[in-house]
Amino acid sequence: MPKTPSSTLAIELRAVSRRFADPGGRTVGVQPTSLIVPQGEIHGIIGFSGAGKSTLLRLVNLLERPDAGEVIVHGNTLTRLSAAGLRQARHRIGMIFQHFNLLHNLTVADNVALPMRIAGADPARIRERVQVCLDFVGLAEKADVYPGRLSGGQKQRVAIARALAPEPHVLLADEPTSALDPRTTLDLLGVLADANRRFGVTILLVSHEMEVIRRLCHRVSVMEGGRIVEQLDIADGRIPEGSQLASWLSDFGAVGPAASPSPATRPDAAATPHHFALEAAHA
Amino acid sequence: MLETLIELAPEILKATGETLLMLAICLSAAILIGGALGLLVFLTSRGQSLERFRAFNLIANGVINVVRSFPFIILLVAISPFTRVIAGTSIGPLAASVPLSIAAIFYFARLIEQTLRDLPRGVIEAAEAMGASPLQIIRHVLLVEARSGLVLAVTVLAVSFLSYSAVAGVVGGGGIGDLAIRYGYYRFQTDVMVITIVLLIILVQSVQFFGQWAARRVDKR
Repeated sequence: MPKTPSSTLAIELRAVSRRFADPGGRTVGVQPTSLIVPQGEIHGIIGFSGAGKSTLLRLVNLLERPDAGEVIVHGNTLTRLSAAGLRQARHRIGMIFQHFNLLHNLTVADNVALPMRIAGADPARIRERVQVCLDFVGLAEKADVYPGRLSGGQKQRVAIARALAPEPHVLLADEPTSALDPRTTLDLLGVLADANRRFGVTILLVSHEMEVIRRLCHRVSVMEGGRIVEQLDIADGRIPEGSQLASWLSDFGAVGPAASPSPATRPDAAATPHHFALEAAHA
Repeated sequence: MLETLIELAPEILKATGETLLMLAICLSAAILIGGALGLLVFLTSRGQSLERFRAFNLIANGVINVVRSFPFIILLVAISPFTRVIAGTSIGPLAASVPLSIAAIFYFARLIEQTLRDLPRGVIEAAEAMGASPLQIIRHVLLVEARSGLVLAVTVLAVSFLSYSAVAGVVGGGGIGDLAIRYGYYRFQTDVMVITIVLLIILVQSVQFFGQWAARRVDKR
């Protein structure tokens, strides 16, 4: 069988679908959907609650098994791998979460070391990578502290260091800033952009916050009803006029107590990043 | 009372030793076998990494419930033929350790399974995303994040089976309970009864105190 030339693609989803019933009995999930993310790109996924954003993201490392379709990460067809092969592939796919998911009974350094220990890396190499990654996120002095004593932003930085330690090809970010305040969000977006620049790691990020997507992503996929309805180039930080996303922004974009939504005026995000929440905070 | 205490000192010492022996045997069996069983039941439950072996989960759950339905004294009597095969006799602390161990294994399996259920799902998921195998999840996540709960589970187990071991005294199992029955009850020696009760209270208090201290020490959350 001819091998597909996918060496320049970080992520390729081919007609993946995943359906399940939500607690209310409705069928939700992802309709047959395809997505291509080239190496080095920061790709956003945005949409309303229940649009299937997180499911699509979790299909990439097969935390969610697709009912049909193929998942290819860094030239590796994950959907055809054995359980052991998949574990091997996951060693090079980092993931961060909305609620950080750090181990509270491990120190910061041990948390960062964990994925490499699981991958069976050499102890000297682990020590070296823990140092590099903690330096990178600016928390080297917290190495021996337990996560319980860190702020939310610091916890997410540790989670980023942990995800980067095994030198992943791809970093999956599931609502990484949704539990953080605006200033911390901004700091963290800086860390993610830096990771992309310095290590060349491809980032696939799910968020319902327009500002997060706009500031960080090169391209964005807009999801609705379990499928990608639009893909936009937003590398310059502008939402193209006439797009679905632009119309959502004008309908729902301006958040705040004011009843009448004003058109999406661009606030001075550097001082106070304005959250164009496309949905109420994720449960 | 003091006279009785001095007079019965050898008996009391022997009974305490027998109780500790029964406890040591049944706690070890429970922690090793029951702990493993509890981990497996947890890992094969819905949404966990060995969910594909749900048949095992259903069967093991059923067996745990059946064994735990037996009032201990009934279990003691019901399995006495089995006890005779294993221990060669149905009298004495070694024989009593057989039903004690069986009850403790299934009791502890349930305790462990419930302790693990309290872990946030996200932490296990993070380990799965890192490519952790089920064994690595047990070693690096479950036993680490749940360790204070596990210490408390052992504490509860020890206290419960201290009193179960006293029940074994009724059928000649030896130990502190046996002493209380023979002297305190059959011979109406209230002072012996009081001494055994005080002894049991001291044992329970020390186990509980030590367990809580250890659980606090290992908990960094």
